[in-house]
Amino acid sequence: MTDNPTRSQDTILKVSDLSHWVDLANDTLTILQGVSLEIKRGESAAIVGRSGSGKTTLLGLLAGLDVPSQGKVHLDGAEISALSEDQRAQLRAQRVGFVFQSFQLLPAMTALENVMLPLELAGHENPEASARELLERVGLGDRTGHTPRQLSGGEQQRVAIARAFASHPVILFADEPTGNLDNHTGQAISDLMMALNREQGTTLVMVTHDQQLADRCDRQFAIDGGALQEVARS
Amino acid sequence: MTATRKLASVQRDWRERDVRVVLAALVIAVATVATIALFASHLQRTMMTSASTFLAADRQLTAGTGQPIPDTWLAEARERGLATGRMVEFSTMVFGDQGFQLVAVKAVSSDYPLRGDIEWQASPDALREIRQQGPGQGELWVNPRLLRLLEIEPGDTVEVGNLSLQVTGLLLREPDGGFNLAALSPRVMMHADDVAATGVIQDGSRVSFTALFAGEEQTLDAYQNWLEPQLAASHRWRSIRDAEALAGSLEKAEGFLLLGGSLAVLLAAVAVAVASRQYALGQRDVVALLKTLGLTGRGIGRLYFVRLLVWGLAGALGGLLLALPAYWGLAAVLAQMLDQPLGFRLDWTALGPALMTALVALFAFAWPPVYRLRKVPAMRVLRSQPGEGGQYAWLDLLLAVAAIFGLVWWYTGEPGLVVALLGGVAALMLVMGVVGWLLVLTLRKLGGGGGSSWRLALVALYRHRRSSLAQIAVFAMTLMLAATLILVRSSLLEDWQAQLPDDAPNHFLINIAPDDVDEVASFLTARGLSQEAIYPMVRGRLTHINGVPVRQAVTKDEDVNALNRELNLTWMASLPADNRLTAGEWFAPGQREGVSVESELASQLAIGLGDELGFTIGAEVISEPVTSIRTVQWDSMKPNFYMAFPPDSALARMPSTWITSFYLEADQKAAINDFTRRFPTVSVLEVDHIIERIQQIVAQVTQAIEAILALILAAALVVMAAVVSATLQDRQREGALLRTLGGRQRLLVRSTMLEFALLGFLAGLLAVIGAEMALWALQQRMFDGDFRWHWQVVLPFPFISALLLALFGRWQLRPVLTVSPMVLLRRLE
Ligand SMILES: Nc1ncnc2c1ncn2[C@@H]1O[C@H](COP(=O)(O)OP(=O)(O)OP(=O)(O)O)[C@@H](O)[C@H]1O
Ligand SMILES: [Mg+2]
Repeated sequence: MTDNPTRSQDTILKVSDLSHWVDLANDTLTILQGVSLEIKRGESAAIVGRSGSGKTTLLGLLAGLDVPSQGKVHLDGAEISALSEDQRAQLRAQRVGFVFQSFQLLPAMTALENVMLPLELAGHENPEASARELLERVGLGDRTGHTPRQLSGGEQQRVAIARAFASHPVILFADEPTGNLDNHTGQAISDLMMALNREQGTTLVMVTHDQQLADRCDRQFAIDGGALQEVARS
Repeated sequence: MTATRKLASVQRDWRERDVRVVLAALVIAVATVATIALFASHLQRTMMTSASTFLAADRQLTAGTGQPIPDTWLAEARERGLATGRMVEFSTMVFGDQGFQLVAVKAVSSDYPLRGDIEWQASPDALREIRQQGPGQGELWVNPRLLRLLEIEPGDTVEVGNLSLQVTGLLLREPDGGFNLAALSPRVMMHADDVAATGVIQDGSRVSFTALFAGEEQTLDAYQNWLEPQLAASHRWRSIRDAEALAGSLEKAEGFLLLGGSLAVLLAAVAVAVASRQYALGQRDVVALLKTLGLTGRGIGRLYFVRLLVWGLAGALGGLLLALPAYWGLAAVLAQMLDQPLGFRLDWTALGPALMTALVALFAFAWPPVYRLRKVPAMRVLRSQPGEGGQYAWLDLLLAVAAIFGLVWWYTGEPGLVVALLGGVAALMLVMGVVGWLLVLTLRKLGGGGGSSWRLALVALYRHRRSSLAQIAVFAMTLMLAATLILVRSSLLEDWQAQLPDDAPNHFLINIAPDDVDEVASFLTARGLSQEAIYPMVRGRLTHINGVPVRQAVTKDEDVNALNRELNLTWMASLPADNRLTAGEWFAPGQREGVSVESELASQLAIGLGDELGFTIGAEVISEPVTSIRTVQWDSMKPNFYMAFPPDSALARMPSTWITSFYLEADQKAAINDFTRRFPTVSVLEVDHIIERIQQIVAQVTQAIEAILALILAAALVVMAAVVSATLQDRQREGALLRTLGGRQRLLVRSTMLEFALLGFLAGLLAVIGAEMALWALQQRMFDGDFRWHWQVVLPFPFISALLLALFGRWQLRPVLTVSPMVLLRRLE
């Protein structure tokens, strides 16, 4: 993959003329139309927009959770729609991290195990050590044996962040990571994400309603009626 | 433990409710099927041993041609580890000092009887004793009647052919005595090795040689396979199943056990299907997350396959661990009722069906929804996707149905049962569809508005119409299976009860001279013994049908037993209560012509109404047209006749003896001694022992049936619990929400209970309908039509199931009522 000629030296995510629609009972609903964007390695980008504008859908397409109805997504040199579902899964395991609004931790596993899981799936050397290190880093070194039920929302999201960064992804996608948290906790979570983003040089793409968080990102995109536009920085 | 390993660990799974339900369903499935199989095999062995005494062995081989059974056959049996014995039966004259008498000799080897025992008396006034062996060489045991007939005493010598034998005791009962009324001459028993010395057996004399075999069922079967090709047409291989009086009961009992086992299989499959579907639905979020984290479809497939495999093992193991003590308990209960209880033995072949059930239930019912998890879109992790309701694909359903009925078939070897159950379930589903449609139609009209608990309940039913219908379907099916079993049980028990009431006649009086008839009757009445009707009996052969000699008329190869010997002919004014006319008319008062023929013999000989039958009685021949055909209860322990004539017929002018039967309690046995002293020429045939045996066996089977019914009902309850609790979370969340929104507790409780009661009532109603249909099919295919209808037994079903479900609903609400809605909503997030 390193000698893929289409791969630009510093473009990690490239979307060209992407459209997405779903078939409903008696007509089609177009959710995204003519979306193009390019994000460079190490950048942080925020996507903002009204509820129902298609942010989550776009994020899913960028991360390769789904394939667009039309258009192309190049993620770290690979063209997503050309990959099979399993190949996309492998790509995610090795290079992509996620943080979700609703945390998405496996309730039956401890914090440590939740963090270890993607490491093991990607075949890392020493999953437990890395997981502990990351949990330490997010300030939960003493809660490793607790299950999600025993943690507060903010703590759960920190575990999710630890899980996302543990495998040192080249790119991290976040869908409203602070959406379920109070202002103060949300602030702490954003700090943590930005810090890790800097430390690891990870590219960050997040959907957020939180203007403060959006403002801290290198770039900002607004989505309206299915169309995406970069917001000029003031 | 690594996280991925933990992902697949059953120990972790155990913490999840749905997994517990799947496992519980599996455990119960395996436990029920294994218990039933183990117990059925135990019961079968018990019944075999009890019933064996009717043959004095497990198997009998009779050669009717006067040809002895080759010694090599017996040697082969012994080589295979079977016990063997020999019997020679013939009629001959015995001579005492004062006279002679025709007797029926049974000469037995030292091994006789292989099963059962002989009742014996040293002299008429001595105690009755149980013997495990026949007379030794040089000895003769005789029927008490012979003492009078020959005017001899025990200790005297009598001549049998060229041989003198000493009378060393009285033969009261032989295990394989049966009640063959043809054996009218008194029985004597001697040793088989003495037979040659008597010189009475010459070629062509009417003698029958019998070989006895006992041993393990498999060995016996293997031996039979070896023997069969060498048998001539005249050889008869008899197993216990042929022992007339029992055959019907045993077959029906076996049918019941099979039915019970099959229902257990079906119930288990339903439980596993419901629980695993629920589990699969709950796993979709996990799968979406795992996919997002990079697990491939194959990896997910493998993960769940391994998991299912581990569950299967755990379920099978758990089930067996439950089944063994359950079987042991049942066997112990049974042992208390038996004279000779059978050892606890693990029949490994009985476990096959149980393990197979687990496997099939898992892979035909749990696997499809779980397998489809691979298809869960990763996108689900961000937003739930439409069109993934997790319905069964038609193909899955077909596979499941085929698998389960294949299993039942394999398990019972009864395609009829499969068809009946399949038909019942299909009919049920059809009715379900109609009811569901009606339900939706009526409930929709009631939508909107709040207030009364009735309204809330109906609205809830409508709102959950899909899951409500699914629940009703599962409940109805479960209840239907239970109802079917209950109905079959009632019919069986009643059947047996009717066949052998506690006061069934257990003694026959044969050979009563016409002059003695009144005296015998008054003798019995004086002792308070209720006597069955008394019938005249004339011995004669059926020799002509429509003027053609019977040997020519009956061209069939098959040997019609009734033609080989003299028949007991009678005359009677009215049809005995337990006989039933199948064709023609019973004799009118004053009618003198005609004969009524037993239906089986009639069909064997292809005799129909109007056919002229010729009988040879002594030197005379009488000829009568067939005026009716009737069925006879051969196992009723009452005098039964192939041929009956009207009272004023030609037969009534023939010399006759009379026969009757009566019931005698065990402690009145002394009356027999009085009777034989008073009427020395009348034969007393004591069948009380046989009847007791049959009653004991029936009691055992009844116990087994009750136990198995209890097991099945328990399984049914678990299925229902599984289904109800599958919706537990939704219900609790709704309840919590309702309370949050200000609903009062009482309203919540009432409406929920009402909703469930309605559900239960509908399901119960459907179940009764389905059960009746299944029974209708069963009765045609498995129980030969003689089935007693008991719809009133299941009448309370809808009400019971309504009550049961209402209580279930109330029970489910518990957490909603005790915990604050806040806490609950958070916990259910
Ligand atoms: N598979 C689908 N089928 C039908 N409609 C869909 C599907 N996926 C998305 N939509 C619709 O597309 C629109 C965009 O959805 P999306 O979840 O992307 O919005 P969003 O911007 O993330 O909103 P929010 O800020 O509320 O999360 C919505 O109107 C949604 O109902
Ligand atoms: Mg969204």
